[in-house]
Order: sequence, then C-alpha cells, then structure tokens
Amino acid sequence: MRMLRLLRRQRSLLNCAPINHDRLADRSMRAAVSRADDSDEFVNQQSFDRAVAALVLLIPIPPETAEWFSEKDLAVGSKWTWKKMARNPAVLAISIAVVVIAGVSVFQVLSRLNDFPGSATARKLLTVAASTRPVMLDPVSTEAGTLSDLFFMKHGLEHYDVPTEFADFRTIGCRVFEDEESRRIAQIWLAEKRMQLFLFPAERNAKTGAVLPFPGWRYVHQEGWAGAVTERSGVCFMAALRGNEKDLAPYISGAKQ
Amino acid sequence: MLGDSSKAQEVFHTTLREAANRAAHGELPREPFWLFRDARWRCLEADKADLQPEPLALDEHDVAPQAAAQIEQLEPAQLAVWISGASDPQRTALALFFLDEFDYNEILDLAELKLSELSRFLAQGRRQFQAWLDAKHPHQGTV
Repeated sequence: MRMLRLLRRQRSLLNCAPINHDRLADRSMRAAVSRADDSDEFVNQQSFDRAVAALVLLIPIPPETAEWFSEKDLAVGSKWTWKKMARNPAVLAISIAVVVIAGVSVFQVLSRLNDFPGSATARKLLTVAASTRPVMLDPVSTEAGTLSDLFFMKHGLEHYDVPTEFADFRTIGCRVFEDEESRRIAQIWLAEKRMQLFLFPAERNAKTGAVLPFPGWRYVHQEGWAGAVTERSGVCFMAALRGNEKDLAPYISGAKQ
Repeated sequence: MLGDSSKAQEVFHTTLREAANRAAHGELPREPFWLFRDARWRCLEADKADLQPEPLALDEHDVAPQAAAQIEQLEPAQLAVWISGASDPQRTALALFFLDEFDYNEILDLAELKLSELSRFLAQGRRQFQAWLDAKHPHQGTV
C-alpha cells in the first residue's frame, strides 16, 4: 500500500517535472526525475514541454507592456539585512541559547579559577557555620591557640593547630564532629566577631595518598559567609565569618594568594 | 490565461495600478507572489462574463516523440487560444507551468492546488493538446 502511494507520488512529481532542469531544487523531484530520466515516456514529455515553453516565449507582448519588464523582476526577493536576520525567531532563539551557554561556561571557568584542594569541603563547612548555634558546642573559654593540645590529647587529632594569626583570640566553645565522609572536623567559636574556625584534613591524591598542598591563604564564599583557608602539615585551617573577604583580610598577615 | 492580448493588457495595467496604490499606502503584502496571484484572479474575473468553455470530454493521445516537431508548426497565438480555452483551474496550471518561471511548489501555492491535482491537469493537458495536434497537424505515420 505504502509502495503504491510512493509510486503514485513519484508519478505525480514526474508530471510536474520542470522544463528547465535548473529548477530541480526539490529533493523528491530530483529523485523522481533521476529515476525516470531514461524512460521514453519521460523523454517525450520533456521534449513536448520544451517545445511548448519555446512557443510561449514567442507570444508577442505589446510594446507598452514590454517596457515594464526592461530588466527588472516583478517578484524581487526581500533585501537581506543584519537587522532582519537578527529578528528571525530561529536566529534569536539560537543567539539566546549561545549566550546562556557562554554565560554558564564563563561562570564555571571563573568558579574553577578560585578553586584549590579542599575548597569544596571549605564551602560545605561555611554552610555548617551558618547553621551552627552556640549551644551545639562545648563551652570553652580560653585562647584559641591552646586548643591544639585538647584536640590531640582528647581526640587524637595531630597537627590541628590554630595559626598564629588567630591563636590569641578568646574562644566561646568548640567541638569535634565527623562530616558525611567520616572526616574529623574541629570547630571553634570565637568571641571576636562571632567568628568560627575549622580544622579539617587536607585533600589528598586519590592514587598516592599524598597531601595536595596550596600556598598561603585562599578565600571561599557561600551563602553570605566568607572563609580564609590555609594548609599546614596536612591539615586545613579555615577562619569563617558572616561577611566577605574584606572582613577577613585584616586578620590575615601577608597578601592573599 | 485570456487568449486575448487586449484583455491581458488591461488586466496587467489594472494589476500594476492597484499595486502602485497599495505601495503608496505601504500596504504591499509580504508574500512574494502576491502580484501573480492578484493577476490570476483578475484574469478569471475578466472573462467571467464571456462564454465559458463547455465541459467536453476531449480526445486524449499519448504524448508522441514527434510532438516537438508538430508544436514547431504552430503559431504562438494558437497555443494561447488553446490554453485559454481550458476551464480553470486547469487553465491556470497550464499557463503557469508553460511560462517556465515557477517551480511546481510555487505553482501549487499560486493556483491553490494539490500536487495530485496539478499532476492530473498537466498530464491531461498534454494528452489533450497532443490529440489536438494530431488532428490539426497530423505527422507522417499519425492516423
């Protein structure tokens, strides 16, 4: 049935085959003509059509009408302009899509530029900082620098040292907890600007197990919180507060890396 | 379309005058073939009052290899009269097709026909014209 329909369509196309082969723009018409090109019936049809078309050209046109057709087409295609093309819905849609994709790509590249080993964990800990309440920590009032001994003696955490920049600040409380990857995190709450300090294992090479170091201080941001992170002896330290880089900068000696 | 050059000229000028008016008012349609469509309707209107061809069952012959030679013996006016004698929409189909200015999709659009209709009108037109040729200018070997 389908074959029959196809043959019927092909027959219909052949009956409408253009006299001038330059008009074979349509793919289905091209296919139909190429299949029938050698048949006597089609050859007769084409020579008949050409003869009639040649005769049509000889039909005299009155001079006053002919002068209208000097050298101009009556159906002139509309002029192509950039403005017109820009208004084309397809071009508009593609342009918007390209802009969005480019925007996302630029955003991702910029995000990656600020990444460093442990930045993902640092961002998660900023979320923890935002949701932590003082009652969740054990009350400890001392200098932050002295808590290294507590972490080592009580929890067996080596090198969980508070850097000298923050060592002299008074603490309100502290705790040690495990994140979802069972890494042990030390959290210290300071009286100074309700700042929170975090100590957590530095990121390691998955194959060799070696610590992935990075020099100096790096900043991370998450949900209105800012963190300044540094790595020492396989442990990352992060000072976090609600605000931005400028609020943290005065506490950090040396320039940002 | 009309088989009468004075009528055709009148339609042509009316169509252009109307187009100029619309252009002056900035009302030209965006569709590229509107002028031809307009001219076609004016042609159909122009001979509405004339005697219309009766729907006769014309003889039909297969298109012959010698058709081209037979056609060469014709006067252009004879062809014009023959085509204008067909009833519409076959007349439009034949006129647009043999003008050799449009592809079949454009003819379908202009004449508001389906492919099967255009195909039938053209095939039938060729066969009828061949029969007429055989009658008017019998070729050697044609009975």
